[in-house]
Formats: sequence, structure tokens, C-alpha cells
Amino acid sequence: MNSNNKIQQKLRHEAGALLEQNKVDLIIGFEPGSLKFTTTPLITRDKGDLDRLVINPFIVNNLAVFLPDIKGPDLKGPKLKGRVAIVAKGCDGRSIVSLIQDNKVRRDNLVILGIPCPGMIELRKVEKLTGKDRDELDDIIREGDKVVITVDGKASEFPISDVLFDNCLGCEFPTPQDYDILLGEPTAPFAERSAGQARILKGISPQERWEFWRREFRRCIRCYACRNICPSCFCQRCFVEESEPQWLMPVPRWQENLMFQAIRTIHLAGRCSDCGECERSCPVNIPLRSLTREMYDLVDELFHFKAGMAKDAPPLMTHYEQEEAKDLIR
Amino acid sequence: MTASNRSRFLAQGNVYLPHIMVIEKIIDETPGVRTFHFNFKDEKLRDEFSFESGQFGEYSVFGVGEATFCISSSPTRRDHLEFTLQRVGKVTNALHRLGVGAEIGFRGPYGNSFPLDLLQGKNLVFVGGGIGLAPLRSLIWNVLDNRDKYNDIHIIYGARSPADLCFKYDLDAWGNNETVNMVTTVDRGDESWKGREGFVPQVLEQVAPSAENAIAIVCGPPIMIRFTFPVLEKLGFRPEQMVTTLEKRMKCGIGKCGRCNIGNIYVCRDGPVFTYAQIKSFISSEY
Amino acid sequence: MNHKKINKKDLGNLLHQWSKDYTIFVPSNEGDTAQMGLWDGSDTGFLDWYRNTAKPPKANFLPPVEEMFRFQKGKEGHSIKLPSQEHQQLIFGIRPCDGRSLAILDNIFTDAYQDPYYLPRREGAVLVGLGCLKPYDTCFCTSLGISPGESNDVDLMLTDTGDEFLIEEISDKGKQLMELTAGLEDATEDDTARASEAKGKAHDKVTRKIDTQHLSHKLLSTFEDETYWEKVAAKCIACGICTFLCPTCHCFDISDEMVKKEGARFRCWDSCAFPLYTKMPMENPREEKWQRVRQKVCHKFEFYPMAFDVIACTGCGRCIRLCPVNWDICQTLGQLPG
Repeated sequence: MNSNNKIQQKLRHEAGALLEQNKVDLIIGFEPGSLKFTTTPLITRDKGDLDRLVINPFIVNNLAVFLPDIKGPDLKGPKLKGRVAIVAKGCDGRSIVSLIQDNKVRRDNLVILGIPCPGMIELRKVEKLTGKDRDELDDIIREGDKVVITVDGKASEFPISDVLFDNCLGCEFPTPQDYDILLGEPTAPFAERSAGQARILKGISPQERWEFWRREFRRCIRCYACRNICPSCFCQRCFVEESEPQWLMPVPRWQENLMFQAIRTIHLAGRCSDCGECERSCPVNIPLRSLTREMYDLVDELFHFKAGMAKDAPPLMTHYEQEEAKDLIR
Repeated sequence: MTASNRSRFLAQGNVYLPHIMVIEKIIDETPGVRTFHFNFKDEKLRDEFSFESGQFGEYSVFGVGEATFCISSSPTRRDHLEFTLQRVGKVTNALHRLGVGAEIGFRGPYGNSFPLDLLQGKNLVFVGGGIGLAPLRSLIWNVLDNRDKYNDIHIIYGARSPADLCFKYDLDAWGNNETVNMVTTVDRGDESWKGREGFVPQVLEQVAPSAENAIAIVCGPPIMIRFTFPVLEKLGFRPEQMVTTLEKRMKCGIGKCGRCNIGNIYVCRDGPVFTYAQIKSFISSEY
Repeated sequence: MNHKKINKKDLGNLLHQWSKDYTIFVPSNEGDTAQMGLWDGSDTGFLDWYRNTAKPPKANFLPPVEEMFRFQKGKEGHSIKLPSQEHQQLIFGIRPCDGRSLAILDNIFTDAYQDPYYLPRREGAVLVGLGCLKPYDTCFCTSLGISPGESNDVDLMLTDTGDEFLIEEISDKGKQLMELTAGLEDATEDDTARASEAKGKAHDKVTRKIDTQHLSHKLLSTFEDETYWEKVAAKCIACGICTFLCPTCHCFDISDEMVKKEGARFRCWDSCAFPLYTKMPMENPREEKWQRVRQKVCHKFEFYPMAFDVIACTGCGRCIRLCPVNWDICQTLGQLPG
């Protein structure tokens, strides 16, 4: 699309200038993936790689996940170190701010290249809609509020909301809150925001919920993709890997799987920006946002707090205010 | 190494099933290190079981898990088995909480062993550090119990402090054995320490045993091993004359669970005993 | 050879017939995730959507978690009880790549010590292969000596010839099963010709390639090139998807559980992607992500072949299809210097 092309041009130019002027050591963005309709993170210090940077409706990863691994210029560590320029959509930007709040990354080591995000296309939805697998599709083209999908040479048009990720449809802040360079014009949230599937458990009985999760977590293989893809899961050593005390058996039984996810969700309180990466990454399609989004809303309701909105604010769970007591401690 | 007696023993069904063993005696070696004397609960198995110096087993506390240790007693002394461990994690902590009479699981013996054929008729130089003496000790007693098959014996053993010296009763016995040149050292002594001070590799260099017709058998913390090989090379030992035993995280002990590899070598299946010449030929330096 | 055939509509009857002696597993979709699941006794709708499962069939032999044995602490000390043997399984629809993967796993589980959990399942199982006529764009089996329509690693091989399946006997076990199977027609030369054509077409549809010829040499010479592996590993998030869902990855962990006086020892899938996998109290030989990525690649394409003379990859493409950051093994192999 045209606007994407323009943004992409600008991105390549800005990233090149940043490297050239030695303002950053490393660029983190997206490049075309090895498969149709995919992109892949590009992490490079080489200016020659920058003409591969892309912006399209498939830049799904939350690149903030790489930041805690990158040591600042003053820190010894692996080769991946230095000042970083990072491409960030709205939710990614909030994850970055959240990492700054948690002292996982320093703002002055970062150049945030903000992307006002019109929502990302979920391939699983396209596959369901067309009854075809990703590799059987000829083309997916977004045109504003529409998407044109071509299968076997035949193009069909759908409303874009049919194929965007649920978390994109429910996104409150598609434009990054904090950035150094904004590529494109700020964009507004969807007029009819909805949290989509994430609310499927609202209003059903605890027994039904229990049954639902029992079924879902029976599939879990404990690959930890949900945790490892999540920028807010930055613990050096996850509680689930502790052996003394051993909080959880390392075996993938549904009880432990559910408990792992429940604890992970609690740890994300005030950190989760609802980027949806956990759910997208899950190789066995567990609707994890039904947990994380619930936590996101609870945090909002109880503490009037949204993750990653103010880098100078303390992290929600490390900070206590007197008036919280009357609601929480009874 | 000799697989026949081992496989006969192991052929009895499920290889992952532990034998029930009973702890007969516990010796506090250092504040964090204990030696357990243990024996098969099923008395029939006591005679059937055989192993060789350098081999290891998987030991378990039921309900806690398994951990890997060498058998630290000598196959020449058959009335019980011994293993020695440092308290470092979940299973070792649980083992340290057990008392005499408690039951543990054991499966093994696994892995190869020290090459006795190669050692016979040779001058032997044992170089050990800390709890690394455990596998060496099995071999040292093995050798001393067949003393006439071997030539001169040097034992150079060190620990961080006098309190960290393991097997003090053995050190005394070897020190009193006229056919053994025993040198004990500590990195740093205390007021009552009258012995040598200095790191094991340095002391080895000072003692300077001859490489002539000799084999050095080295075991200790990785850092000690890494510094000991160059010293031995300086003393004229060729890589084929240096033997060590490697330690890796293991689960199955039988070459299936994956994790103990160094390149294409599985320490549990192909080791744990290697010559330095073999180690140098490994694809990976992850040892 | 004398081949048989069966009309697709009669597949349910055939499975039903086999279900008297075997527990039948077919491609099934649980929560949008395909695996070889228990057949419900009637549905053959998987024929409409099945290309390959996300969870590989290794899960039927080396399950994600299994109880190795139970133990009990009584007055007389500990007693151990083994689980009961499972039913014999018939897996219907296994693809040639996955058939090969089981042959690769057999090497591990028979090497030196016989694995008492994997092997009885394997020996009791019948594999009914189904030619893969619509490979994914992530498939590269043909680079690893596998043709999507053909397999010698299964017991029976089926090929879709339109309204029918051609059935070929591959192993003795398959032959015995066929002798006990009623209601099959003899295939005509025409059927066999159509099947051959379908197989040939399927083979040509696999366009993704890797060059295995100089791979071993390249991996050896690149092994110590930390810069290369750091770059390759940079975007990997070190999750367990590519290893857990790899049909040839076999690493496992062993752990215990005890509630009051009773407990069990479990084994479950483990992955070289996790730092804990090799962690020892004082050190970790593969602490860094690049070391773990290097281990994964080299194990499949260098170390395993050194031991068993075959690459431990079948080109099934799961690791590429399911990777959340599009880390592509073919790119890594293709970009190896040297």
C-alpha cells in the first residue's frame, strides 16, 4: 500500500541516518519473512541490511522482547549490545515503556521509531475465512477498511475487521505513547472496539470455565513460547524453572499448565500491553488472551492503571498507595 | 568398558527402574560434602552387581528425583558401595536429609571406566581437587589393592581450605603408605594447617613427577582440569598419557535424553572417562 | 506386486474393521491443532482438511508426558509398580516424512539400551501411510531422500487416486494385516498408474530445497564461528516449539512427584533450546542462546549423522511453519559460510 511504502521509505532513511551518525549501534525492525505473508525480526548493525526493512500488515512481532537481552553500551555482555533503534507499533511502544519502568532498558539507550498501527492481519482468521491454508493463498491486500484476498486467481473483498487480530480490534492506543520519530500520522482506535474472543469467558459459571480451561490446557506442551515471546516476561529465571522450592512440576499436565499460565498472567499485571503475542505464538492455539486481557481489564478497573503509558511512573505492582487499602484489604 | 557383565545385570527388564538401596553409613567429609555407604536391599543382587572404577549411577530420592554421581568406592572392596556428593540442588539436598537406614533408588553402573589395561605397569600420577577425588579414590584403592601391578604412585590432591579436604581418612592412609608419594595442598591454610599451600596445578609443577612411562589421571573442578593439562604437557606428558573424567548434567545416563553431549560425544555413553587426546579431538569445546 | 484398493466412502468401514484389533488414531483436530488422535469410530472428515499434523506422531510413541512407574512407601520400605501396557495402536494417515522420523527415533531408543516405553509401543503399532499430495511451502523432504508420495518406513501405503485409495503392502506387518482385511478390491494397472502419476506430481510440488552435500563440512568449519551463530540466533526467542514439534527430537527430562506416601516418576519432553537443559550447579556449557541454536542445528545435521549415518531431519517443515519469529532452518543452512 502507498502509505506503507512511504513509511517504509522513511524508516529506511531514518534508520540509515541513525547508524551513519553513530547515534545507535543496532537496528531492530522487520524484514520480509521466508514465507508468504510473514515478516521476521531484523536485528542488525549493518547499514547494508536496512533496505530490507519493511512495514506491512504482517509485522506482528512485538520487538520489545529483544530489548532486555541487549546490554547497554556501558555493560559487558554478548555481542548484542549498545544503543538501539527499534520499530514500535502502539502496543510494542507500551511494552517498551513498561520495560523502562522496570529498569530493564534505559530510555537514553533507545531511539523509538514509532509506527501508528492500523491493526495487523491474523493469518488464522484469513485461513478460516477462505478455508485455505496460508500457502494456498495468492494474495492478501489491505485497502483501508477492506481486505482483498485472492485465492486460485479469484479476488474477494472482506471488511478489514474480519481479519485483524482481536487485540488490534480492541486496541485503545494504536499510536505509540512515547517515540523519538513517528513514521506516519497518528491513528485513531477502531470506532467499534471489541475485545473479541478474549471475553468469551465473561458471564459463564466457574464450573464451565474450569471445564473450558481443562480442555484447552490439555493440549499445552509447555514450549514456553507464550513466555519467551512476551516482552514483559523478562525474568532471568522463571518461577517455573525453580527447583527449590519447586512451585510446579515441570511436566505438561493440564493442571500444571493452567497453573503456570495463571501465575504468568498475575506476574503480568500492570505490564501486559495486550499485544497478543502469547496467543499468536501458541502452537496449539490456546486462547491465552482470555487470561491476559482479563488481567488487563482488572488492572484498569482496580487501579485505574494501563501498562506502558508513563515511563516515569513506578511499576504498578512495586508501588503502593494508601487509598488502595480500603478496596483491597478488608 | 567391559560391557558383558554390565549388560547381563541390566538385561533384567526396564532400564529406568531403580534398585532399592539402603544407606548403611554416612560420613561428613566437609560441611557440604557427604559420603554414603549403601547396599542393595535385595541381598541376592549384592553378589550379582559389578562395576568398574570411573563408572557412575543415577541415584534417586523417591518423590524428589534422580541425580548423577560416580561410584566412589573401589570394586575391589565388595561389602558395600559408596558415593559422595556435594549439597548443591534439590536432589542432593534431599539426600543430605536422609539418615542411616533410609532407602534410595539406584540404577547403573553406566558409562566407561578408567583404562586399567593401560595403567598396568605404569607410573601413576593422580591429580585431584575437592570432591573430584571421588572417582579417583575408587581407582586409587583399586590400584593399591593390586599394588604389584603398578609402578610408582604419586597422589597430588588439593582443596580450597583444610576444611574442604575430602576423604581425610584416605589421605592419612595413603600418606602412611610407603609405596605412595602423597602430597596434599590447600589453596589457603589456616592457623593449624602445617601442610603445603598452593593451587593444585602449581604444586603439581613443583612436585614434577616424571612423564616417563607414566599416566596422569586428573579429576577436579573444570577450572583445575583446564590449568592442569598445560602443566602436565610442560612436564612432558603427551595427551594420550592424560586421563580425566568429565561431568555433565544428565538425566537418563544411557544416551537417550540428549543433554550431556559435547559435539557428537555423549559423556554418559562414550565417557565419562576420556584421555586428553580424545578431548582435544572433540568437535566442540563445550567440555 | 498385487496391490489393493478401496473406495474413499468405505474408509470408515475399513478403520472399523481394524479397530477390532487396534486402537485407531487418525488426524484429528483438537482446538484447531491437528494431531494423531483417537478415532471416534465414524468420522473420516479429516480427509477434507488433513495435510499434516502440528503435533508429530512421535507423540504417540514418546508422549509429551508419561508416567514411568509409581512408587509407594510402606512399612517394608519402597515398592515400585510399572504402568500397564497400552493397546496396540494403528496410526492412519501418517505422512512419509513422519514415517521416516520414527525410523530415526528408533536408532536412539535401541542404541545400547532398549527403551522400555518407546519400543513396545513402536513394536505394537501399525503405520498406515498416506501419500502427501499437497505438501506445504515449508516442506523440503525431497532434499532428505524422502518423496512425499512414497515410504518404506510404514507398513501400508495409501495413495489418493481420486475416488479411491490404492493400498500397497510395504512391510511384513502390513502384509499380515492385509491378509486379515476383508472387502478390498484388487487394484488394476490403471489404478497403479494413476497412483504413480500422483506421486510424481507430489514430488515436484516440493520446491523448497536444502543442499545436504557439503553440509557436514560447512558445519564443522563454521562451528567455532561465534559471530555467525550469534547472528543466526539473534531473533530466536529460545522457546521449545521447533524442538517439541520436531518429529525427530527426542530429548526428555525425568522428574518425580510424591503426594503423601505415594508418587510417580515422569518423563516429559525437554528441549536443547532451554538453558536449564544443560545447567549444572556451577556452570552451564550452553548458557548462551547462540550455543543452543548451534547445538540444535549441528545435532540434526552433523552429530546425529556421525552416529547413525542419516540426517535427523525429515524436511517436514513444522519448525518453519510454527516458529513465531519465522526462524527458518533452510535459511540458516543455506547461509552457512564455506
